Amino acid sequence: MADKVLIENLFVKFEGEQGNVQALEDISFSVKEGEFLTILGPSGCGKSTLIRSIAGFQKPEKGRILLGKRQVHEPGPDRIMVFQEFDQLFPWKTVKSNITYALKVNGKGKEERERMAAHYLEMVNLQDFGGAFPHQLSGGMKQRAAIARSLALNPEILLMDEPFGSLDAQTRAVLQSELVRLWQKVGSTIIFITHNIQEAILLGDRVMVMSSAPGRIKDIVDVNIARPRLPETPEFMALWHTLYGLLETKRFGENGKSSSMPGKD
Amino acid sequence: MPILKKVTENKILRQAFFIAILLGVWQYIVSTGNYSELILPNLRSIWTALVDSISTGEMGERTAYSLYLIGKALAIGSGLALILTALAMLSPLFADFVKTITTIFNPLPGVALLPIALLWFGIGENSILLILVHSIIWPLILNATTGFRSVSRTQLEVGRNLGLRGLKLVSSVMVPSAFPYILTGFKISWSNSWRSLVAAEMIFGASGGQGGLGWLIYQKRFFLQTPYVFAALFVIILIGILVENVIFAQIEKWTIQRWGMIIQKEK
Repeated sequence: MADKVLIENLFVKFEGEQGNVQALEDISFSVKEGEFLTILGPSGCGKSTLIRSIAGFQKPEKGRILLGKRQVHEPGPDRIMVFQEFDQLFPWKTVKSNITYALKVNGKGKEERERMAAHYLEMVNLQDFGGAFPHQLSGGMKQRAAIARSLALNPEILLMDEPFGSLDAQTRAVLQSELVRLWQKVGSTIIFITHNIQEAILLGDRVMVMSSAPGRIKDIVDVNIARPRLPETPEFMALWHTLYGLLETKRFGENGKSSSMPGKD
Repeated sequence: MPILKKVTENKILRQAFFIAILLGVWQYIVSTGNYSELILPNLRSIWTALVDSISTGEMGERTAYSLYLIGKALAIGSGLALILTALAMLSPLFADFVKTITTIFNPLPGVALLPIALLWFGIGENSILLILVHSIIWPLILNATTGFRSVSRTQLEVGRNLGLRGLKLVSSVMVPSAFPYILTGFKISWSNSWRSLVAAEMIFGASGGQGGLGWLIYQKRFFLQTPYVFAALFVIILIGILVENVIFAQIEKWTIQRWGMIIQKEK
């Protein structure tokens, strides 16, 4: 299939008081239509900067970001971002009006807005919570609602910046499998940021591993494991160790000591 | 004792009980006869004065004029505050300017401007409006600016992501997000201006023209109609309670409490 997103020689530099930091250096990759790409990297490797650049929130120093044939410069509803923060829903609107409002801004008629909101709320199992305000929902429900809002806008690509990063382990596992189910049903193109190896393998068609200071692509690994994927299988564990190895060399160099925390992620 | 228990448990009954005690003490002191009616009128004559001034329409007229002034000042003040805050958001240089003048003028009590207002505008509505607008605009700017600065970055980015830009982003994301602060600003502005208004009216209204509740008090004292003075004080207190504990409390309940943007108050 055709490339949906093409990143060409992207550089991002932060100018700070302590001098300049090269956040991203010479990043090039592409995402095919309907593909689920996970980007894996340690904290501070620039993976958030990368997805924020694609979303248009971060101005690149040089390089190009192409969506289809079109170069992107600023945020737009063709690339919808799902954030890690629980406050991404507008607290002054009900869950349902958070969705209908997003559709209204994008020119959808009243009837269509109502119909689509109901449809996507049902898709994320929130059909009974449309009238609730965000503060009445749990963290997991808020993230589901945010995903429903993003899907309703039918973006060309869905950008997810560690959306499950603040959830407890069980909720996270449930939402991971729900996301795969939604993706298989809707067929969206997704870039998903995570620092969790298991999550990267569970979700992605491919896993892009990044290294930090400056943020570079270390490797892009295909995940040739049939879905639904189970972490107990040998091939899953083998890939886990491969990815862990790719991450670990960097950790070793950074901290001066080997960190062995396979149990955590 | 079931009645006593009921009184101590219910907040409104409890408050009514305290008020009854205060009124009883008042009436007792009056009944000792140590003070002249001109200084300390009895409750019955205050009540008669209140009923009389309401039935002649005087109290209604005065109250309406005071509320009209404060409404007008709130409209002008919040308009100006809106413009200044908006411009401050557009330009960092202007923001510094607004910050400076707010820092200078916010601590200045409105009443302190009375003589200046008198010099500039003479006696009349404009002088009072100047003082009221002064007591409204600075707390409003201060709170709105703090509110806009505290808007969640995520929510702003969600707004831009949806395609909102410029004024639409301000009205659809920044204003509701900063609403708890804006509401606080209005509460402070109201109480500042309500207090300044009564004071200002005593100075300006005394020389003729239309007057509000402050002027009514001044006038009645001049004619030694003390019960009417207390009747007017009662109305001033009543309006204050009504606006602060009923109107603002209700707005809060409908908005930021419903949205979970403040911690719910204890009952």
